[in-house]
Amino acid sequence: METIYQSLVAVEPLTLIANICNLFIQMLIIKKFFLDKIIAVLDQRRQAADKEITDAEQAKQEAMDIKKTYEANMLQANAKANEILTSAQKTAAERSEKIIGEAQQAAAQIKSKASADIAQEKKKAINDAKNEISGLALAIAGKVVEKELAQEDQAGLIDRFIDELGDQV
Amino acid sequence: MEMSINGAKILATFENVPILGTVHVTQTLVVSWLVMIIISALCVWLGSNLKVTNISRKQAAAESIYKALVNFVHDRMGTEFDRYIPLVGTIFITSLISNLISLLGIWSPTADLMTELGWALVVFVIITYHKVKASGIGGYLKGFLDPIFVMAPINVMAELFTPISMACRHFGNILSGTVISALVYGSLTAASYALFGALGSSPIAAVVLALIGAAMVFFGKKKGNKKLFIFGIVFAVLGVLGFLTSFGGVFAKFPWLTVGLPAITSFYFDWFTGCIQAFIFCTLTTMFIKQAAG
Repeated sequence: METIYQSLVAVEPLTLIANICNLFIQMLIIKKFFLDKIIAVLDQRRQAADKEITDAEQAKQEAMDIKKTYEANMLQANAKANEILTSAQKTAAERSEKIIGEAQQAAAQIKSKASADIAQEKKKAINDAKNEISGLALAIAGKVVEKELAQEDQAGLIDRFIDELGDQV
Repeated sequence: MEMSINGAKILATFENVPILGTVHVTQTLVVSWLVMIIISALCVWLGSNLKVTNISRKQAAAESIYKALVNFVHDRMGTEFDRYIPLVGTIFITSLISNLISLLGIWSPTADLMTELGWALVVFVIITYHKVKASGIGGYLKGFLDPIFVMAPINVMAELFTPISMACRHFGNILSGTVISALVYGSLTAASYALFGALGSSPIAAVVLALIGAAMVFFGKKKGNKKLFIFGIVFAVLGVLGFLTSFGGVFAKFPWLTVGLPAITSFYFDWFTGCIQAFIFCTLTTMFIKQAAG
Protein backbone atom coordinates (compact mmCIF):
# COMPACT_ATOMS: atom_id res chain seq x y z
CA MET A 1 0.00 0.00 0.00
CA GLU A 2 1.30 3.39 -0.94
CA THR A 3 1.97 5.82 1.93
CA ILE A 4 -0.14 8.95 1.63
CA TYR A 5 0.85 12.19 3.30
CA GLN A 6 -1.15 15.24 4.14
CA SER A 7 0.07 18.53 2.78
CA LEU A 8 2.15 20.61 5.19
CA VAL A 9 -0.75 22.79 6.25
CA ALA A 10 -3.87 20.71 5.96
CA VAL A 11 -7.30 21.40 7.37
CA GLU A 12 -8.63 18.17 8.82
CA PRO A 13 -11.81 18.52 10.92
CA LEU A 14 -11.40 15.12 12.53
CA THR A 15 -7.94 15.96 13.86
CA LEU A 16 -9.18 19.31 15.08
CA ILE A 17 -12.20 17.94 16.93
CA ALA A 18 -10.28 14.96 18.27
CA ASN A 19 -7.54 17.23 19.59
CA ILE A 20 -10.02 19.46 21.38
CA CYS A 21 -11.60 16.36 22.94
CA ASN A 22 -8.12 15.04 23.79
CA LEU A 23 -7.29 18.31 25.51
CA PHE A 24 -10.33 18.06 27.77
CA ILE A 25 -9.85 14.37 28.51
CA GLN A 26 -6.18 15.02 29.27
CA MET A 27 -7.14 17.93 31.49
CA LEU A 28 -9.55 15.74 33.47
CA ILE A 29 -6.92 13.02 33.85
CA ILE A 30 -4.28 15.50 35.00
CA LYS A 31 -6.73 17.11 37.39
CA LYS A 32 -8.01 13.88 38.86
CA PHE A 33 -4.77 11.92 39.10
CA PHE A 34 -2.24 14.68 39.73
CA LEU A 35 -3.50 18.13 40.72
CA ASP A 36 -6.32 17.04 43.02
CA LYS A 37 -4.10 14.57 44.83
CA ILE A 38 -1.29 17.06 45.29
CA ILE A 39 -3.76 19.70 46.49
CA ALA A 40 -5.28 17.20 48.93
CA VAL A 41 -1.88 16.30 50.34
CA LEU A 42 -0.81 19.96 50.60
CA ASP A 43 -4.09 20.79 52.34
CA GLN A 44 -3.60 17.92 54.75
CA ARG A 45 -0.11 19.15 55.51
CA ARG A 46 -1.34 22.68 56.05
CA GLN A 47 -4.08 21.44 58.36
CA ALA A 48 -1.56 19.35 60.26
CA ALA A 49 0.70 22.39 60.62
CA ASP A 50 -2.25 24.52 61.76
CA LYS A 51 -3.20 21.86 64.26
CA GLU A 52 0.35 21.72 65.58
CA ILE A 53 0.33 25.48 66.08
CA THR A 54 -3.07 25.42 67.76
CA ASP A 55 -1.97 22.59 70.02
CA ALA A 56 1.22 24.39 70.92
CA GLU A 57 -0.73 27.55 71.72
CA GLN A 58 -3.17 25.58 73.80
CA ALA A 59 -0.35 23.88 75.69
CA LYS A 60 1.25 27.26 76.28
CA GLN A 61 -2.05 28.64 77.54
CA GLU A 62 -2.43 25.68 79.87
CA ALA A 63 1.09 26.12 81.17
CA MET A 64 0.36 29.80 81.76
CA ASP A 65 -2.82 28.89 83.63
CA ILE A 66 -0.96 26.39 85.76
CA LYS A 67 1.72 28.97 86.48
CA LYS A 68 -0.92 31.51 87.46
CA THR A 69 -2.62 29.02 89.78
CA TYR A 70 0.72 28.13 91.29
CA GLU A 71 1.61 31.76 91.86
CA ALA A 72 -1.78 32.45 93.40
CA ASN A 73 -1.36 29.43 95.65
CA MET A 74 2.08 30.58 96.65
CA LEU A 75 0.73 34.03 97.51
CA GLN A 76 -2.07 32.47 99.52
CA ALA A 77 0.37 30.21 101.35
CA ASN A 78 2.59 33.17 102.13
CA ALA A 79 -0.34 35.14 103.48
CA LYS A 80 -1.46 32.19 105.52
CA ALA A 81 2.03 31.64 106.92
CA ASN A 82 2.21 35.32 107.83
CA GLU A 83 -1.18 35.09 109.46
CA ILE A 84 -0.18 32.03 111.45
CA LEU A 85 3.05 33.70 112.48
CA THR A 86 1.27 36.87 113.49
CA SER A 87 -1.38 35.03 115.43
CA ALA A 88 1.27 32.91 117.11
CA GLN A 89 3.21 35.98 118.05
CA LYS A 90 0.03 37.59 119.30
CA THR A 91 -0.88 34.54 121.35
CA ALA A 92 2.62 34.33 122.74
CA ALA A 93 2.58 38.00 123.64
CA GLU A 94 -0.81 37.66 125.25
CA ARG A 95 0.29 34.66 127.19
CA SER A 96 3.50 36.24 128.33
CA GLU A 97 1.64 39.37 129.39
CA LYS A 98 -0.88 37.28 131.21
CA ILE A 99 1.88 35.31 132.92
CA ILE A 100 3.71 38.47 133.83
CA GLY A 101 0.50 40.04 135.10
CA GLU A 102 -0.30 37.01 137.18
CA ALA A 103 3.23 36.95 138.52
CA GLN A 104 3.06 40.61 139.34
CA GLN A 105 -0.30 40.13 140.97
CA ALA A 106 1.02 37.18 142.95
CA ALA A 107 4.10 39.16 143.94
CA ALA A 108 1.95 42.08 145.01
CA GLN A 109 -0.26 39.77 147.03
CA ILE A 110 2.75 38.18 148.64
CA LYS A 111 4.20 41.61 149.28
CA SER A 112 1.03 43.00 150.82
CA LYS A 113 0.54 39.85 152.90
CA ALA A 114 4.14 40.10 154.00
CA SER A 115 3.74 43.75 154.95
CA ALA A 116 0.49 42.96 156.77
CA ASP A 117 2.25 40.16 158.65
CA ILE A 118 5.12 42.50 159.40
CA ALA A 119 2.71 45.13 160.65
CA GLN A 120 0.91 42.58 162.79
CA GLU A 121 4.20 41.24 164.14
CA LYS A 122 5.30 44.78 164.80
CA LYS A 123 2.05 45.57 166.54
CA LYS A 124 2.30 42.35 168.48
CA ALA A 125 5.88 43.09 169.38
CA ILE A 126 4.97 46.60 170.40
CA ASN A 127 2.09 45.32 172.47
CA ASP A 128 4.37 42.76 174.08
CA ALA A 129 6.95 45.43 174.66
CA LYS A 130 4.32 47.71 176.04
CA ASN A 131 3.08 45.09 178.46
CA GLU A 132 6.62 44.29 179.45
CA ILE A 133 7.53 47.94 179.86
CA SER A 134 4.37 48.72 181.72
CA GLY A 135 5.03 45.84 184.15
CA LEU A 136 8.59 46.92 184.43
CA ALA A 137 7.57 50.52 184.93
CA LEU A 138 5.08 49.57 187.60
CA ALA A 139 7.71 47.60 189.41
CA ILE A 140 10.15 50.45 189.04
CA ALA A 141 7.61 52.99 190.05
CA GLY A 142 6.51 50.86 193.07
CA LYS A 143 10.01 50.62 194.09
CA VAL A 144 10.65 54.33 193.51
CA VAL A 145 7.66 55.68 195.37
CA GLU A 146 7.28 52.68 197.54
CA LYS A 147 3.73 53.20 197.36
CA GLU A 148 1.15 50.65 196.74
CA LEU A 149 -0.55 51.63 193.73
CA ALA A 150 -3.68 50.06 192.56
CA GLN A 151 -2.82 48.07 189.59
CA GLU A 152 -5.93 49.06 187.68
CA ASP A 153 -5.67 52.82 188.30
CA GLN A 154 -2.09 53.02 187.33
CA ALA A 155 -2.33 50.75 184.26
CA GLY A 156 -4.20 53.35 182.13
CA LEU A 157 -1.71 56.00 183.04
CA ILE A 158 1.19 53.90 182.01
CA ASP A 159 -0.37 52.84 178.76
CA ARG A 160 -0.91 56.46 177.81
CA PHE A 161 2.67 57.18 178.63
CA ILE A 162 3.86 54.30 176.52
CA ASP A 163 1.65 55.35 173.61
CA GLU A 164 3.11 58.78 173.69
CA LEU A 165 6.51 57.21 173.84
CA GLY A 166 5.63 54.86 171.02
CA ASP A 167 4.44 57.73 168.91
CA GLN A 168 7.71 59.41 169.38
CA VAL A 169 9.48 56.23 168.39
CA MET B 1 18.84 14.99 -4.94
CA GLU B 2 15.11 14.96 -4.47
CA MET B 3 13.51 15.76 -1.18
CA SER B 4 9.92 16.36 -0.17
CA ILE B 5 8.59 17.66 3.12
CA ASN B 6 5.11 16.45 3.87
CA GLY B 7 2.53 16.73 6.57
CA ALA B 8 1.30 13.90 8.71
CA LYS B 9 1.01 10.43 7.29
CA ILE B 10 -2.58 9.40 6.52
CA LEU B 11 -3.24 6.02 8.08
CA ALA B 12 -6.85 5.52 7.10
CA THR B 13 -9.50 7.34 5.11
CA PHE B 14 -13.22 7.20 5.73
CA GLU B 15 -15.55 8.60 3.14
CA ASN B 16 -19.09 9.88 3.48
CA VAL B 17 -18.97 10.33 7.23
CA PRO B 18 -22.05 12.31 8.29
CA ILE B 19 -21.47 16.06 8.66
CA LEU B 20 -17.68 15.83 8.27
CA GLY B 21 -17.60 14.22 4.83
CA THR B 22 -14.30 12.57 4.02
CA VAL B 23 -12.08 12.22 7.07
CA HIS B 24 -8.52 11.04 7.43
CA VAL B 25 -7.07 9.30 10.45
CA THR B 26 -3.57 10.70 10.52
CA GLN B 27 -0.35 10.13 12.37
CA THR B 28 -1.09 13.29 14.35
CA LEU B 29 -4.11 11.69 15.93
CA VAL B 30 -2.36 8.45 16.80
CA VAL B 31 0.73 10.16 18.22
CA SER B 32 -1.42 12.56 20.25
CA TRP B 33 -3.03 9.50 21.84
CA LEU B 34 0.43 8.18 22.55
CA VAL B 35 1.31 11.52 24.14
CA MET B 36 -1.87 11.32 26.21
CA ILE B 37 -0.92 7.85 27.41
CA ILE B 38 2.57 9.04 28.35
CA ILE B 39 1.24 12.06 30.25
CA SER B 40 -1.49 10.05 31.98
CA ALA B 41 1.03 7.42 33.07
CA LEU B 42 3.29 10.19 34.34
CA CYS B 43 0.39 11.74 36.26
CA VAL B 44 -0.68 8.46 37.81
CA TRP B 45 2.92 7.72 38.77
CA LEU B 46 3.53 11.19 40.24
CA GLY B 47 0.14 11.33 41.92
CA SER B 48 0.36 7.94 43.59
CA ASN B 49 1.52 7.12 47.07
CA LEU B 50 1.51 10.69 48.34
CA LYS B 51 2.25 11.25 52.00
CA VAL B 52 1.83 14.22 54.31
CA THR B 53 5.15 13.83 56.07
CA ASN B 54 8.43 12.09 55.28
CA ILE B 55 7.93 12.51 51.55
CA SER B 56 9.84 10.73 48.80
CA ARG B 57 11.96 12.43 46.12
CA LYS B 58 9.27 11.66 43.59
CA GLN B 59 6.67 13.45 45.69
CA ALA B 60 8.99 16.40 46.25
CA ALA B 61 9.39 16.64 42.47
CA ALA B 62 5.63 16.36 41.96
CA GLU B 63 4.97 19.09 44.51
CA SER B 64 7.61 21.31 42.90
CA ILE B 65 5.93 20.84 39.51
CA TYR B 66 2.58 21.73 41.02
CA LYS B 67 3.97 24.80 42.77
CA ALA B 68 5.78 25.95 39.63
CA LEU B 69 2.51 25.67 37.70
CA VAL B 70 0.53 27.55 40.34
CA ASN B 71 3.19 30.27 40.51
CA PHE B 72 3.20 30.53 36.72
CA VAL B 73 -0.55 31.17 36.68
CA HIS B 74 -0.55 33.41 39.75
CA ASP B 75 2.30 35.56 38.43
CA ARG B 76 0.44 36.25 35.20
CA MET B 77 -3.22 36.20 36.17
CA GLY B 78 -3.40 36.74 39.90
CA THR B 79 -5.22 34.40 42.21
CA GLU B 80 -8.77 34.75 40.88
CA PHE B 81 -8.21 32.47 37.86
CA ASP B 82 -7.26 29.32 39.73
CA ARG B 83 -9.77 27.25 37.75
CA TYR B 84 -7.61 27.65 34.62
CA ILE B 85 -4.60 26.06 36.30
CA PRO B 86 -5.49 22.58 34.96
CA LEU B 87 -5.99 23.97 31.44
CA VAL B 88 -2.69 25.86 31.38
CA GLY B 89 -0.84 22.90 32.84
CA THR B 90 -2.42 20.51 30.36
CA ILE B 91 -1.61 22.67 27.36
CA PHE B 92 1.97 23.11 28.59
CA ILE B 93 2.76 19.48 29.24
CA THR B 94 0.94 18.27 26.12
CA SER B 95 2.77 20.78 23.97
CA LEU B 96 6.11 19.98 25.58
CA ILE B 97 5.80 16.21 25.21
CA SER B 98 4.41 16.57 21.69
CA ASN B 99 7.34 18.79 20.69
CA LEU B 100 10.00 16.62 22.30
CA ILE B 101 8.61 13.33 21.04
CA SER B 102 10.16 14.17 17.67
CA LEU B 103 13.52 13.48 19.31
CA LEU B 104 12.56 9.82 19.31
CA GLY B 105 11.96 9.99 15.58
CA ILE B 106 8.20 9.99 16.05
CA TRP B 107 5.99 12.44 14.15
CA SER B 108 5.32 15.43 16.38
CA PRO B 109 1.58 16.19 16.71
CA THR B 110 2.42 19.86 17.06
CA ALA B 111 3.84 19.82 13.52
CA ASP B 112 0.18 19.64 12.45
CA LEU B 113 -1.61 22.99 12.55
CA MET B 114 -4.86 21.33 13.62
CA THR B 115 -3.42 20.43 17.02
CA GLU B 116 -2.50 23.98 17.94
CA LEU B 117 -5.65 25.35 16.33
CA GLY B 118 -7.71 23.08 18.60
CA TRP B 119 -6.00 24.46 21.70
CA ALA B 120 -6.20 28.03 20.43
CA LEU B 121 -9.94 27.66 19.76
CA VAL B 122 -10.49 26.50 23.33
CA VAL B 123 -8.57 29.53 24.55
CA PHE B 124 -10.54 31.74 22.15
CA VAL B 125 -13.84 30.49 23.60
CA ILE B 126 -12.59 31.27 27.11
CA ILE B 127 -11.39 34.73 26.04
CA THR B 128 -14.74 35.51 24.42
CA TYR B 129 -16.61 34.23 27.48
CA HIS B 130 -14.61 36.58 29.70
CA LYS B 131 -15.07 39.54 27.35
CA VAL B 132 -18.83 39.02 27.28
CA LYS B 133 -18.88 38.53 31.03
CA ALA B 134 -16.86 41.71 31.61
CA SER B 135 -18.91 44.08 29.45
CA GLY B 136 -22.13 42.21 28.69
CA ILE B 137 -23.17 40.84 25.29
CA GLY B 138 -24.15 44.35 24.14
CA GLY B 139 -20.88 45.87 25.28
CA TYR B 140 -18.96 43.07 23.63
CA LEU B 141 -20.68 43.59 20.27
CA LYS B 142 -20.42 47.36 20.64
CA GLY B 143 -16.66 46.96 21.11
CA PHE B 144 -16.42 45.96 17.44
CA LEU B 145 -17.70 49.39 16.39
CA ASP B 146 -14.93 51.14 18.25
CA PRO B 147 -13.76 53.80 17.44
CA ILE B 148 -16.11 54.13 14.42
CA PHE B 149 -18.44 51.64 12.79
CA VAL B 150 -16.36 51.35 9.61
CA MET B 151 -13.67 49.71 11.70
CA ALA B 152 -16.01 46.79 12.45
CA PRO B 153 -14.62 44.38 9.83
CA ILE B 154 -11.05 45.04 10.97
CA ASN B 155 -12.05 44.57 14.60
CA VAL B 156 -13.78 41.28 13.81
CA MET B 157 -10.71 40.14 11.91
CA ALA B 158 -8.43 41.18 14.78
CA GLU B 159 -10.61 39.14 17.10
CA LEU B 160 -10.48 36.08 14.90
CA PHE B 161 -6.76 36.37 14.33
CA THR B 162 -6.04 35.95 18.03
CA PRO B 163 -6.44 32.14 17.98
CA ILE B 164 -5.04 31.87 14.46
CA SER B 165 -1.89 33.79 15.34
CA MET B 166 -1.46 31.78 18.53
CA ALA B 167 -1.79 28.51 16.65
CA CYS B 168 0.40 29.61 13.75
CA ARG B 169 3.18 30.89 15.99
CA HIS B 170 3.55 27.55 17.68
CA PHE B 171 3.01 25.54 14.52
CA GLY B 172 5.41 27.63 12.49
CA ASN B 173 8.24 27.24 14.96
CA ILE B 174 7.83 23.49 15.19
CA LEU B 175 7.40 23.19 11.43
CA SER B 176 10.53 25.23 10.80
CA GLY B 177 12.40 22.84 13.06
CA THR B 178 11.02 19.87 11.16
CA VAL B 179 11.88 21.45 7.80
CA ILE B 180 15.41 22.37 8.85
CA SER B 181 15.97 18.93 10.33
CA ALA B 182 14.79 17.38 7.09
CA LEU B 183 17.11 19.66 5.11
CA VAL B 184 20.05 18.84 7.38
CA TYR B 185 19.38 15.11 7.13
CA GLY B 186 18.94 15.33 3.40
CA SER B 187 22.09 17.28 2.80
CA LEU B 188 24.13 15.14 5.18
CA THR B 189 22.85 12.00 3.49
CA ALA B 190 23.84 13.39 0.11
CA ALA B 191 27.23 14.44 1.44
CA SER B 192 27.68 11.04 3.01
CA TYR B 193 26.95 9.19 -0.23
CA ALA B 194 29.29 11.48 -2.14
CA LEU B 195 32.14 11.09 0.34
CA PHE B 196 31.91 7.36 0.95
CA GLY B 197 31.01 6.69 -2.65
CA ALA B 198 34.36 8.20 -3.57
CA LEU B 199 36.23 6.37 -0.84
CA GLY B 200 34.42 3.09 -1.43
CA SER B 201 35.39 3.08 -5.11
CA SER B 202 39.06 2.79 -4.16
CA PRO B 203 39.51 0.59 -1.10
CA ILE B 204 43.26 1.09 -1.12
CA ALA B 205 42.88 4.87 -0.69
CA ALA B 206 40.53 4.21 2.21
CA VAL B 207 42.99 1.86 3.89
CA VAL B 208 45.79 4.40 3.39
CA LEU B 209 43.58 7.11 4.89
CA ALA B 210 42.81 4.92 7.88
CA LEU B 211 46.51 4.17 8.38
CA ILE B 212 47.43 7.87 8.15
CA GLY B 213 44.70 8.57 10.66
CA ALA B 214 46.02 5.89 13.03
CA ALA B 215 49.53 7.31 12.73
CA MET B 216 48.24 10.82 13.48
CA VAL B 217 46.38 9.53 16.54
CA PHE B 218 49.55 7.75 17.69
CA PHE B 219 51.86 10.76 17.30
CA GLY B 220 49.24 13.23 18.45
CA LYS B 221 48.90 11.37 21.70
CA LYS B 222 52.67 10.92 22.09
CA LYS B 223 53.42 14.62 21.58
CA GLY B 224 50.31 15.83 23.39
CA ASN B 225 49.10 17.58 20.21
CA LYS B 226 45.30 17.64 20.52
CA LYS B 227 44.63 18.94 17.00
CA LEU B 228 46.64 16.14 15.47
CA PHE B 229 44.89 13.62 17.70
CA ILE B 230 41.36 14.75 16.80
CA PHE B 231 42.06 14.96 13.05
CA GLY B 232 43.66 11.53 13.32
CA ILE B 233 40.47 10.07 14.78
CA VAL B 234 38.40 11.71 12.00
CA PHE B 235 40.71 10.37 9.29
CA ALA B 236 40.85 6.91 10.80
CA VAL B 237 37.06 6.68 11.14
CA LEU B 238 36.54 7.96 7.59
CA GLY B 239 39.10 5.48 6.29
CA VAL B 240 37.56 2.51 8.09
CA LEU B 241 34.05 3.48 7.01
CA GLY B 242 35.21 4.04 3.46
CA PHE B 243 36.82 0.60 3.45
CA LEU B 244 33.60 -0.94 4.78
CA THR B 245 31.60 0.91 2.11
CA SER B 246 33.70 -0.67 -0.58
CA PHE B 247 32.12 -4.04 0.29
CA GLY B 248 28.74 -2.65 -0.76
CA GLY B 249 25.44 -3.90 0.69
CA VAL B 250 24.14 -2.32 3.89
CA PHE B 251 27.34 -0.41 4.52
CA ALA B 252 27.16 1.36 1.20
CA LYS B 253 23.53 2.38 1.71
CA PHE B 254 23.90 3.78 5.24
CA PRO B 255 24.30 7.59 5.37
CA TRP B 256 27.12 7.65 7.93
CA LEU B 257 27.30 11.43 8.31
CA THR B 258 23.76 11.60 9.68
CA VAL B 259 24.98 9.86 12.83
CA GLY B 260 25.62 12.40 15.57
CA LEU B 261 26.05 15.54 13.47
CA PRO B 262 22.34 16.57 13.30
CA ALA B 263 22.33 16.67 17.11
CA ILE B 264 23.77 20.19 16.85
CA THR B 265 20.75 21.58 14.98
CA SER B 266 18.46 19.25 16.88
CA PHE B 267 19.55 20.83 20.13
CA TYR B 268 18.18 24.18 19.06
CA PHE B 269 15.19 23.19 16.94
CA ASP B 270 13.90 20.30 19.01
CA TRP B 271 14.92 21.01 22.58
CA PHE B 272 15.03 24.79 22.76
CA THR B 273 12.15 25.58 20.41
CA GLY B 274 10.12 22.73 21.82
CA CYS B 275 10.38 24.05 25.38
CA ILE B 276 10.11 27.73 24.56
CA GLN B 277 7.03 27.34 22.33
CA ALA B 278 5.16 25.39 24.99
CA PHE B 279 6.04 28.17 27.43
CA ILE B 280 5.03 30.96 25.03
CA PHE B 281 1.71 29.33 24.19
CA CYS B 282 0.84 29.09 27.90
CA THR B 283 2.02 32.63 28.59
CA LEU B 284 -0.18 33.95 25.78
CA THR B 285 -3.12 31.88 27.03
CA THR B 286 -2.87 33.36 30.53
CA MET B 287 -2.23 36.88 29.22
CA PHE B 288 -5.18 36.86 26.83
CA ILE B 289 -7.58 35.52 29.44
CA LYS B 290 -6.38 38.07 31.96
CA GLN B 291 -6.75 40.90 29.43
CA ALA B 292 -10.21 39.72 28.43
CA ALA B 293 -11.41 39.61 32.01
CA GLY B 294 -9.83 42.85 33.13
